[in-house]
Amino acid sequence: MNAYIPEIGKPVPRADAAAKVRGAEKYAVDHYGDNLVWAGVRRAGVAHGLIRLVDTAAALQLPGVVAVLTGRDVPGTNRQGIVHKDQPVLADVKVRHCGDAVALVVAENRETLIKALSLIRVEIDPLPGVFTVDDALRPDAPLVHEEHPRGNILLKATIQAGNGQAALEGCDILLEETFHVPVVSHAFIETENGVAWQEEDGKIVLVVSTQAPFRDKWEISHALGLPMDRLRIIGPYLGGAFGGKDGATVQCLLVLAAQHAGGRHVKMWWDREESFIAGYKRHAVRMHYRMGARSDGTLQALHCRLYYDTGAYAHLGGEVMALGMEHAGGPYRIPHTLIEGWCIYTNNPIAGAMRGFGVAQVSFAFERMMDLLAGKIGKDPLELRLKNALRRGDRNASGVTLTQSTGIADCLAAVQQHPLWQDRRVWKKEAGPFHKRGVGIAAVFNAMGYGRGLPDSALAKVELTPEGHIRVYSGVSDMGQGNATAFVQIAGQILCQEYTAIELVQPDTERTLPSGSSAASRTTYTYGNALIKACEELRRRLIGRAALMLLSDTLDDLELLPGRVKNLATGRKIPLTALAAMMAPEDRVCISQFLMPVARDKLDTGKEFVIGFPHLLFSYAAHLVCIEVDELTGAIDVKAYLAATEAGRVLNPQAFEQQVQGAIAQGIGYALSEEVLLQEGRIMNPDFATYIIPGALDVPEMISLVVDAYEPSGPFGMKGVGEVGMNGPLPAIAGALADACGINLTRSPLTAERVLATL
Amino acid sequence: MTLYFTLNGKKTALDVAPGRRVIDVLREDCGLTGTKEGCGAGECGACTILVDGESRLSCLMLALQLSGREITTIEGMAVERPLHTLQDTFMQKGGVQCGFCTPGMIMSAAALLNRNPHPTRSDIRTGLSGNLCRCTGYQKIVDAVEATARREEEAT
Amino acid sequence: MTQVYLPRTLTELWSYLDGEPEAQVYAGGTDLLVKMRNRKLSAAPTLICMERLEELREVTENAAGIRIGAVVTHTKLLRHPLISRYLPVLDQALRTLGSPLIRNMGTIGGNICTASPAGDTLPPLYILQADVELHSRNAFRILPIREFITGPGETQLQKREIMTGIRVRKPERYNVHHFEKVGQRKSMACAVASMAAMLRLSPDGIIEAARLAWGSVGPTIVTDATLEDALLGKKLSRETLTDTAQRIKQIVTPIVDVRASADYRRTVSGNLLLRLLDAQPQNYGKLSE
Repeated sequence: MNAYIPEIGKPVPRADAAAKVRGAEKYAVDHYGDNLVWAGVRRAGVAHGLIRLVDTAAALQLPGVVAVLTGRDVPGTNRQGIVHKDQPVLADVKVRHCGDAVALVVAENRETLIKALSLIRVEIDPLPGVFTVDDALRPDAPLVHEEHPRGNILLKATIQAGNGQAALEGCDILLEETFHVPVVSHAFIETENGVAWQEEDGKIVLVVSTQAPFRDKWEISHALGLPMDRLRIIGPYLGGAFGGKDGATVQCLLVLAAQHAGGRHVKMWWDREESFIAGYKRHAVRMHYRMGARSDGTLQALHCRLYYDTGAYAHLGGEVMALGMEHAGGPYRIPHTLIEGWCIYTNNPIAGAMRGFGVAQVSFAFERMMDLLAGKIGKDPLELRLKNALRRGDRNASGVTLTQSTGIADCLAAVQQHPLWQDRRVWKKEAGPFHKRGVGIAAVFNAMGYGRGLPDSALAKVELTPEGHIRVYSGVSDMGQGNATAFVQIAGQILCQEYTAIELVQPDTERTLPSGSSAASRTTYTYGNALIKACEELRRRLIGRAALMLLSDTLDDLELLPGRVKNLATGRKIPLTALAAMMAPEDRVCISQFLMPVARDKLDTGKEFVIGFPHLLFSYAAHLVCIEVDELTGAIDVKAYLAATEAGRVLNPQAFEQQVQGAIAQGIGYALSEEVLLQEGRIMNPDFATYIIPGALDVPEMISLVVDAYEPSGPFGMKGVGEVGMNGPLPAIAGALADACGINLTRSPLTAERVLATL
Repeated sequence: MTLYFTLNGKKTALDVAPGRRVIDVLREDCGLTGTKEGCGAGECGACTILVDGESRLSCLMLALQLSGREITTIEGMAVERPLHTLQDTFMQKGGVQCGFCTPGMIMSAAALLNRNPHPTRSDIRTGLSGNLCRCTGYQKIVDAVEATARREEEAT
Repeated sequence: MTQVYLPRTLTELWSYLDGEPEAQVYAGGTDLLVKMRNRKLSAAPTLICMERLEELREVTENAAGIRIGAVVTHTKLLRHPLISRYLPVLDQALRTLGSPLIRNMGTIGGNICTASPAGDTLPPLYILQADVELHSRNAFRILPIREFITGPGETQLQKREIMTGIRVRKPERYNVHHFEKVGQRKSMACAVASMAAMLRLSPDGIIEAARLAWGSVGPTIVTDATLEDALLGKKLSRETLTDTAQRIKQIVTPIVDVRASADYRRTVSGNLLLRLLDAQPQNYGKLSE
């Protein structure tokens, strides 16, 4: 490949792609080690119960077993969690979901490990469990966490604007509906895993597939009573995460195992079934909507009651609900809102962060309500959305003033002008025998960043190496979204170096700096902004030092060019290697911090949220889908998909499209086939044969339109685009189904069986 | 027991238990971690390798089945050049995001193109229908395979 | 650790089986190795892999029809001109089976001996009236496939006996060959319901011969001679098919599982018949374009 300077706005190929296509990139799972031992977990298998006995004697006697640990062997608090530390590393008194860890085994090889795990005798006295939100809310309901002050309610919160639900009474049109979305799984291809070992000085090193290597230290430290400086965490490229590796998965277990492995490398790798059973999930939600509008379609009032099933432990349940509630009104002006949310503990699997964090769920509800409203008043559904679309300067349904880029109207206009919308009636008429065709649309949005209550911060570190290269020390994991490439582009753009001269160090708590989690569509924005400052400082510094070498009496004539600094007036130059040799090591490093701006509105609502409310920055999208419904089987075939997305300026058109296409595909799975099937808390489909994610024949050709906008606070004008695309397919397809067959499904996924039963 | 087979063009003799899964032989005994495991049950295709030029799931093969075969893994795709055309197009066309499915995808694509040098996009999707990807939505992967077919056609 | 054998000849196979009568025999491993992983089989059985038995990897044609060796992979069948030309209903079914990777490894013998009610090759093989060849060291017998498969996952296979091939007569009398599988996605889908059909239609659309079979709606493949006979002499019309569809819904006995309810399977098994409304008679035996 010819040398080039990676620049902003160019479709620069992924920086990590070369190693990945050769199979050379080492994910966490590719780390082994000499003299390796394997760690594994015995899980409860019972959704709720008191642990009467964990007998490890037989397992300990098995040759090749190095250690067997239970709850009483866990030092520290034995409690992990991101906000609420309510999850035992190894269950001690009771188990609260089938995947609860009850014992940890370390063994010489995988066969011995499996054998040892099966030899542990676990006796659990079952307790009555709660498996629905309604059951959990009964006054006499069994408590998942006895010590929790509000029974099974992790969080009850309210967002109110204007006159709240009182305003519903004065409305010309009143619509009411209830929607259900199920538990789903991230189904990343690289399952949860890591390798850990204890060094001679007692420090523990962990190489782990994680979205938050720095926060992991906090979590491990609290859970195991380990001082934070006794931990080093390395976060390689992840083989997918989508939120499921946000928060400790294997981390505490692995560190515990490493403490009992006599310095040997310990590897833990959850197989696919264990990943389903023990890993985190997306919340199932029940959503009651009452919407009021004028007869011309102007939205007036909204009352929502949202019930989030957060499973056995808090994880980020309260925050997921908060973001869902913040988005419950859609990207529309609604002057009067009352959004009520209940985040409920049950004995179901743990729900936590997943792409479209609480928003994917409410998007189904608010967009279907818009279609129902359009149908009720006989208005074009796209026109209805345009009429109510938020614009810059409006207040959104939570009462936050939108001071930043707000492009939903432009997205809708782009869809409106597209032939797929314009020619829809003709296309629909051409359906074949036993097939009906429909076209549906959705207007969606998704906030960026942590919101108020938590600093959304990144620390960028960039260095001129002795080899004359630019080394970027990324503080945020790249889980496939491509932030590493964006950082290369930023460095290339500002420092004018060729891609071969730009190096990346992936997160390592000893080499890179804390920059928050790889989540919330925030990494390129926050770290990118910090990196811009650090690179600009480095540029100034290199020029300043070069002036000394080149005896330039002014800095104005000096320019940083590939491999050198040159005085454009005199023509004299100095290679970066020589410059680096002249500079002290600490002088060659620039560190800069950036904090994402926060909303300034002082809201007299949402008081129950400790963190995460409200947000200032949102990305927007309008989606259109063309489907065919098979009247004999009920199957929905997605024939074409269009997304018009506004996420500020585009740093890398190829990466932008990748994110949009990938999100749509996951959204199609969410819409049509994905559901974690639960029976009394037990997952009935914990594998890829029965948990159905889309394959290459299930996703259509997708058209992605960029709706250009400028976000002044963003690095080179961009906003995060990782999540917003996830929120469109379910409502759009449900709308297309209504368009095709006149049926309104309010429960997802929209399986062939559900469709056929309603046809 | 000692197994004799060709691995990425090299004659290999390996002492290994005959019932060991081929994916474990490759990743652990041969140190070739490019082949990935995503499910262990033949559903995701991340473990795809070529056996005598045909694509197979290494998580559902036992070591003894390697005997006398020509095995190609992702590490063996670039022969006499820095990158196989498929590897280059996957890079250039944006077919790689997290990259975990990529080795398996490339192996399946290679087998597809060997059989059908002029596939339609629909043929490509069918050819890759045993390889799951959670990141890309498949479109750019199809773009990459299509581009490879075009490039190889132009080269002949 | 699992003990594995890889015989190159049937003679070798028999001696391994003699020594280990409890050994599990497999070809592609796409069913057995998955079951082992799910620990549905006893720990570390002895395995005998049939993939190198050349004698069982042939597709041949003779006056009586077509013989397919048990260890022929689905991919090989899909590429074989004899199959696409003379057994189009099997060809259609094979396209829906698993994925290209599964098809490269899985074999027709394996699909039959696994005897899943959802086995994709089974409805076609039932209406093709396939006969199954069974060999043991000193004996040989042939069973019609509907006698060979006795229940879900159950066959007449005896200890130290293997399936060596199947034989089908060419279905020359039929000019409509149709297969449809309903699954939760378009590849790697276990059938939720499937139907194989062969009809002979007269030039004015009268049904002169009919064979039908349904998968995934009973413990084994469902066929009904009375139902087939009732179609004879009738015009291929919406009314005829709708009536028949109603009867189908009465004879199938689907179960509920994680993939679908019994009701859905029942409804779809009847509905699939309606797809035949647009069936166009084709000249049998011509290579498809």
